[in-house]
Amino acid sequence: MDIDVNGRRERLDDAWRDETLLAVLREALGLVGTKYGCGTGLCGACTVLVDGRAARSCTLAAATLAGARIETVEGLARDDALHPVQRAWLDASVPQCGYCQAGQVVAAVALLRDTPRPTDADIDAAMAGHLCRCGTQQRVRDAVRRAAAAMSGGVR
Amino acid sequence: MSPVSGPRAPARRAFLGAAGALTVTFAAGCGALPVIPKRPDPTPRDAAAWIRHVDGRFVLTIPRVEMGQNVLTALKRIACDELGVPWERVEARLHGTDDLPRVKASVGSDSIREFALPLAQACATLRDALAAGRTDGVLAAEPRPASSLRAFARGPSRAGRTHPIEQGVAIVRGEPLYAADVRRSGLRFGRVLRAPASPELAARVEALDEAAARAVPGFVALVRDPVLAQGLAEGVGIVASTPGALDRIAAALAPRWRIDGSFDADDVARAIDVDRRLAAGALAHRPRRDAFDPSGPWDVDLRLDVPPAAHAAIEPRAAVAEWTPQRGLEAWVGHQDVFYVRDAVAARLSLDASRVRVHGMRVGGAFGGKTVVTVELEAAVLARAVGGAVKVQWTRAQEFAQAFHRPASSHRVRARLRDGRIDAWWHAFASGHVLFTNAVLPPWLQGLTDRVGDDGVARGAVPPYRTGATRVEFDLVRLPILGGPWRGLGAGPNALAIEQAMDALARRAGVDPVAFRLAHVEDPRLAQVLRRAAQAAGPRPVAPHGGARTGRGVACGIYKGTSHAAVVADVAVDPSDGTVRVVRMTCAHDCGTVIDADQVRAQCEGNLVWGLGTVLVEALPVGASSIAAATFADAATFADAPIPRIADVPRMDVVLVDEGDPPGGAGETAIVASAGAVANALFDAIGYRATRMPVRPADVLAFLRAGGRG
Repeated sequence: MDIDVNGRRERLDDAWRDETLLAVLREALGLVGTKYGCGTGLCGACTVLVDGRAARSCTLAAATLAGARIETVEGLARDDALHPVQRAWLDASVPQCGYCQAGQVVAAVALLRDTPRPTDADIDAAMAGHLCRCGTQQRVRDAVRRAAAAMSGGVR
Repeated sequence: MSPVSGPRAPARRAFLGAAGALTVTFAAGCGALPVIPKRPDPTPRDAAAWIRHVDGRFVLTIPRVEMGQNVLTALKRIACDELGVPWERVEARLHGTDDLPRVKASVGSDSIREFALPLAQACATLRDALAAGRTDGVLAAEPRPASSLRAFARGPSRAGRTHPIEQGVAIVRGEPLYAADVRRSGLRFGRVLRAPASPELAARVEALDEAAARAVPGFVALVRDPVLAQGLAEGVGIVASTPGALDRIAAALAPRWRIDGSFDADDVARAIDVDRRLAAGALAHRPRRDAFDPSGPWDVDLRLDVPPAAHAAIEPRAAVAEWTPQRGLEAWVGHQDVFYVRDAVAARLSLDASRVRVHGMRVGGAFGGKTVVTVELEAAVLARAVGGAVKVQWTRAQEFAQAFHRPASSHRVRARLRDGRIDAWWHAFASGHVLFTNAVLPPWLQGLTDRVGDDGVARGAVPPYRTGATRVEFDLVRLPILGGPWRGLGAGPNALAIEQAMDALARRAGVDPVAFRLAHVEDPRLAQVLRRAAQAAGPRPVAPHGGARTGRGVACGIYKGTSHAAVVADVAVDPSDGTVRVVRMTCAHDCGTVIDADQVRAQCEGNLVWGLGTVLVEALPVGASSIAAATFADAATFADAPIPRIADVPRMDVVLVDEGDPPGGAGETAIVASAGAVANALFDAIGYRATRMPVRPADVLAFLRAGGRG
């Protein structure tokens, strides 16, 4: 079967048909930015976009995704130009250990596509399923606000 | 972990001049002695190996593990300042066992306190040699006083200076950084199956369906090797060609386990019950033992129970190991001590240490939990069994069931006032082991270490106040669930007990809790952060609409004698459903000379969230002989053992105090004040004293409905 990841058509051989999308991304395709955190959709580290919506790749069967458009954290930057959300994440010095951050960045991208000017309550709701043990939550909020401002031309 | 005494290592490493070296020996008849990590203190001579000049650039091999404290950034700043070169000219790298002489585990908030000075000394030596025209060879770094080093020069811009985070771009781009991101040619995937019980209980396989397992597509190997045992619990290794096949193979294998013995939550509660122990007489260890009248009456008499809690690093521990007959074993790990991994793997696999090479990867959160060798050994055994590369990453269920956790502890604090001052103080507690963890030490060896005590359990137990006649005593209890170092070690629970007692004493004395503490504080730096936190917190918040009851609490403390923190927390309690929301936290923090203000703030923020979690969120449920699932699932998940979420985390303000004292630690300090501030704010709001952690809405609701103060 073929799957569409970051605008590229990827052929999956049969050995991977019974795997989760997370396993396929990381181990078959080498897109390791998407992380395993809990395997039950409760931590958000494995978040990707499926047809534009944030989804937990650890609970999605790869076999169900033929024809779906999948975006991962690796697909956000254009060559050396970071996505504004990635830029904001660095400007706000969000990452500590960094392990959950790719999932958080992808979730923030999804939020800002739907809600370009989120309130703090919108941010908390969109990021509620993303666990961070280092305690970066305040900076995540700050980075989403910065990204929203940058993406709307600096006017909030 | 502290070393136990033992023979010196052979001469091969003697040039390091490090104290406390240990060799690995085997005791006949009782299996391998646990390998204990070595803890050499860094010297300028060691530091010469950390910095190199190559073709006009500098390569800094960081002698610490990067696990989110952003030590790459901080030590690179030291190097840039001392060398006098711009950021881009220094390449900072993580270390493996081949890259440096042995360095000790990255624990204890020691990176800046112990490593900044030798690094700056080495960089100064290198800088001066380059200026003198020397371009090659090996230099011997001399010790130089900090006052002569540029990295510690005081300037008006220091505390406000920030730098880009090293590896930050790679993190937000999702580039490979962590152990589980390593991919090797022909890579297979492994897991070690164990009985659904604590590794404290002996368990072995009685039956399994090997034929069914072999029939699963993707099956590679079944590995029965006694080295896979964890404690007394047998491990059964499986290897597959894809990660998902591991679940299917495990299900087909359907091992039937025989488990010796059992326990439940009541057994743990009874074992740790401090009052039951006090009724039987004095406790075994006494950091303070002044004479006083223990019969009372007491102005404050508080019981505090702290349950086990998970480290819950979002990265479950992982390792990739590759075996080749010619080269031996190579491993990529996310561990707090790559040298300890090498020593333990070499010993358990009976390999010469020169045949084991371990690469340290960025660690996705550790908090003291990635200090014992588990998944690394599993990957090594499986890689050797299949003669190739194997990746093992624990499932979240394994993390809860098989890792060690913050041990349960139980505290009794009694204190007496005279003329408004503390006249007598008695803190008795019982705790599972911390440094001498049951995750490594068998009972007989712990019987020996118990004569010494456990500095991890004792950490922060002596109050930082003038408390009159003072008794601090504790018992160490081998609990049936694994416990060990957790952020702040014993200092978190001990400070929570102390700071709640201080709050209660201040109320009893009718004095403002900040003023009461100031009247008893001995250390001027502690007094300073207390004043600064109170000042920065400003006026008390106005109660929001909707009938919420608001309160403010304060707490403070000293961590490892070198760093000081005070926290003010504001909470709002909803009397209709008992929910407690922390609405703001303000922290003043003095860890001496600040190298990277933004990242010291980040560490403080983390500790504020951990304190909040301790009081309001975190506990591991103990069930039938294991960490248990409270939900429908057959293994514990984040639903059973939650950690704080973004909506739980309030606005946090951090004030850094830097009066030029030598650098102390920042990674754990504020945890001594954050939990106490939240608990005291809750009391301030509704008069509820948090004695059993965590405080749940049902507890609050029951208290209010029973006519709690109001």
